[in-house]
Amino acid sequence: MAVPILRQGDVLIASIQSAPTDEDLRLLQETLVERIGRYRTRGVVIDVTLMDVMDSYACRTLRSVGQMARLRGAETVLVGIQPDVAFSMVQLGLRMEGVHTALDLDAGLSLLRARLASRQRPSGGDGAPPHQ
Amino acid sequence: MARSSRDRPAHSYAAEMGMGREEIQRRKEWLEITPQDEERIRSLHTLAHEYADEVIDDLYRHFLTFPEVADFFKETSVLDHVKAMQRDYFVRLTGGNYDDAYVEERLKIGAVHERVGVDVKWYLGAYNHYIRFVGAKIFESMEDRPEEALATYFALQKLIYLDIGLAIDTYVFQRERTIRMQQEAIRELSTPVLQVREGLLILPIVGAIDSQRALQLTEALLASIARTRARVVVIDITGVPAVDSLVANHLVQTVEAARLMGATAILTGISPEIAQTLVTLGLSLGQMRTVGDLQGGIEEAERLLGYRVTKVGRPEDSYPADG
Repeated sequence: MAVPILRQGDVLIASIQSAPTDEDLRLLQETLVERIGRYRTRGVVIDVTLMDVMDSYACRTLRSVGQMARLRGAETVLVGIQPDVAFSMVQLGLRMEGVHTALDLDAGLSLLRARLASRQRPSGGDGAPPHQ
Repeated sequence: MARSSRDRPAHSYAAEMGMGREEIQRRKEWLEITPQDEERIRSLHTLAHEYADEVIDDLYRHFLTFPEVADFFKETSVLDHVKAMQRDYFVRLTGGNYDDAYVEERLKIGAVHERVGVDVKWYLGAYNHYIRFVGAKIFESMEDRPEEALATYFALQKLIYLDIGLAIDTYVFQRERTIRMQQEAIRELSTPVLQVREGLLILPIVGAIDSQRALQLTEALLASIARTRARVVVIDITGVPAVDSLVANHLVQTVEAARLMGATAILTGISPEIAQTLVTLGLSLGQMRTVGDLQGGIEEAERLLGYRVTKVGRPEDSYPADG
């Protein structure tokens, strides 16, 4: 099942269902990267709350989405990684560097807002939350 | 004794120790106990009955010359009881079926001995005594058939080795269980995850970290992050005596897992020794945020969360005034 992508102002929100196939993920990557340009998007939130397994393919794809989005001028935040998913990811050595993370959609959107605001005002960039 | 263990099938030492029929069979094969051996031992049953009291009395006469044993048996009633049990045990040696019921009985006796603190050396002493005593009787009663006497003696020896093996295994099993229980107890005392401000958690780690504990810490921390919606976590390792590459790796994993859930981790309380060890071992906690002590860590966390803590006036001003 294709991953629904919602648009909210200059932010795109993709909510991944419980067990996406590799094809779903590939499609998501393609669609997101394309829509960032079409909608002049500045931020992307990918919600993985419903995913109870994160394999290496999913991990790599999501990481790539983050990198591609940055090349297209948008920041990506990954939200909703469940405790046991996070736990097994580090145990399997799956890395998610270069992608911002937040607890849930709400926290992710505030993080994105803060980052976008700080980008607009380069002089006062210290108010950003603690995520690099 | 065999009866009582059959009456309560609920608790089986054999089952608990994974001593199934196959295992018993393997042990017998290992000791080369044949049906003929069992037959030979059974043929000693009358002899055993006849001399049971004598061998037990003899055994205790010897044991009681040791002050620690004499001390244990200060009360005559205890001594009599134990001697009666010992007599049963001895007679059962020649009692025939060496099946799972026999093994269960032996394991149970081993467990009881372990519980009351009878050391393995006493156990072995008793066997040693039995086998010498019975050996002498066997050769006496089969004077005219020395070969048969020797075969019977060896058969008995095999059985006793089977018993010794079972006894020692119960000891080991019981001790291991004690260790397991203690480990669990330690784990229960384990680390609390404390919330000090909205969005700020503290994880003070005290004591050594092993893999098991590290996993548990990480799980507890992640669950707390989800529950409290924490955005910053201060991990304080002031109370950790040593950090090696394994522990360092665990810490890196914990920090990364927290980040995956959107929380920044700050590591505090790295002692001079630990700092030296880490650098000497070439372990870099590279991407981790580290701050000297817990206070500094909390201050850093507050800064990240946008708190500003201001002192208002002198300490005495902070006492509530009347009216």
